[in-house]
Amino acid sequence: MIDILDGNQCAAWGARRAKAQCVPCFPITPTTEIIETIAAWKAKNEFKGEFVQLESEHSAASACFGASLTGARVFTATSSQGLLLMHELLPIISGCRTPMVMTTVSRCLSAPIGLWPDHNDTLAMRDAGWIMFICETNQEVLDSVIMGYKISENNKILLPVIVNMDGFVHSYTRTEVDIPEQKLVNSFLPHPKREIRLDVKKPMTLGIPAMGLDYMKFRAQLHRAMMDSFDVIDKVQKEWAKLTKRKYDFVEEYKMKGAKAAIVMIGANTTIARAAVDEMRKKGKKVGLLRIRLFRPFPEKQIRKALEKVKNIAVIDQNICPGMGGILYPEIKMALSGTKKTISNYIQGLGGNFISEKDYIAILNDAIKNKKEERKWQM
Amino acid sequence: MISVRIHGRGGQGVKKAAQILARAAYLAGYQTQDFALYGAERKGAPVTSFVRIDKKGINTRGYVWEPDFIIVLDDTLELSCHLKGRKKTTKELINTDQKLPIKVPYCHVDATGIAVKELGKNIPNIALLGGFVKIFKPITLENLEKAVEIELGKKHPEATKKNIRAAKQCYDKVVC
Repeated sequence: MIDILDGNQCAAWGARRAKAQCVPCFPITPTTEIIETIAAWKAKNEFKGEFVQLESEHSAASACFGASLTGARVFTATSSQGLLLMHELLPIISGCRTPMVMTTVSRCLSAPIGLWPDHNDTLAMRDAGWIMFICETNQEVLDSVIMGYKISENNKILLPVIVNMDGFVHSYTRTEVDIPEQKLVNSFLPHPKREIRLDVKKPMTLGIPAMGLDYMKFRAQLHRAMMDSFDVIDKVQKEWAKLTKRKYDFVEEYKMKGAKAAIVMIGANTTIARAAVDEMRKKGKKVGLLRIRLFRPFPEKQIRKALEKVKNIAVIDQNICPGMGGILYPEIKMALSGTKKTISNYIQGLGGNFISEKDYIAILNDAIKNKKEERKWQM
Repeated sequence: MISVRIHGRGGQGVKKAAQILARAAYLAGYQTQDFALYGAERKGAPVTSFVRIDKKGINTRGYVWEPDFIIVLDDTLELSCHLKGRKKTTKELINTDQKLPIKVPYCHVDATGIAVKELGKNIPNIALLGGFVKIFKPITLENLEKAVEIELGKKHPEATKKNIRAAKQCYDKVVC
């Protein structure tokens, strides 16, 4: 069924089609519409899961944790300070190997208060042990929420999943979207019975104390599950592509054939950068674009392969780690360590600062010329 | 690609106008993108929304810097500011009943007057879209009517009827 939906409605449709059984939440701009949409469905009995509005995001995350431990399929959504308030729970949820899907709608962090997007909120969660997808289109959000459950609930993985989109420029942008039929999603996404779950008839302890070496073993297992998830994610994405003809990968290459210079970036602004690449290709300039879709686990191999023949790379960071620089930059440098490339960093779009095709054309023109690695701010 | 930028004030239906226009374009066979930009939501504050349409897909997003059409829902806005980025070919449609202190030619209709008469309140968004489809022929008045029905939904059948009536009047009365 084709409809015109925005990013937030797509996330809600993902939860609805996945038949999420419990949605504990707390509203925040620009996420609120996801929660409103589900609440409106619940009021009309079109959404069968439990809908609970808690008194804070911390409580919402706690409720997600508890609900998922009983074996229920759980969904929530948040942004910015709300995500930071949830943060205390995030490593607990992944540490207890609790599957769930959360949509994060990126909004810059306070202070000063801003409403528009940058990635400092979601990227701050990169060490929390959650699988992270950073989306570019509405369709991708809807599909990723559904695929997210299949990955998350895989018995070898059992890790929570973040499906991220940018606030405003993505969350409030409407485009045509294919809402997959319920039957199709049902066959793709059965609800596997979880072996380890809270059950009053079979009491057990979860989240036990573990000191020193024991603790380290738990963390090693978590890391291993994360690394093992590459294969599972790949299989799930391929299965979804067979059913819907919509292909997703860890990274997405755009006009990379023969590219001498390329932009590497994440998020919704990638769409604007594509227009810049189109424009430059028309003028015969050999430029391309690489979008990182899977951020955790970090697809080092695929990034290295995609950028194998590219000499000059411009890593775009719509975030700032004060005292260090962009967050994506050192990760890309690590993936490309030992290669002879000129990798520059451009900080832009903080707090949703407007960006146009012209800005990306300027970056690409700059990157083509770079002989030394530059680290610049684009304002 | 055809791009439209809509300016108005919170409460006048700036966001809804973009949604209805995009839906109408979709019904006319276009691929569409609509988006609204606002800060802390409040009535009376300047709100901007955007529509992009193309039969071959849209490969950009965000703010429309150089629109093909500028629609202004409120003539008390600072117009020189909102006409920024106009190209030689850009067409303006302004909701006004007076002569405006701007140097560019513009299409105009008193959508507020018509909306107040039909709806009993100053929500001129759908009315003015009636004027727009007169200027932009690929979207028909029928496409617009259907889009209003879909976007306002079954919840507001009365409002839908009144707005369509207002849109038809603007269609007839718009002056270029």
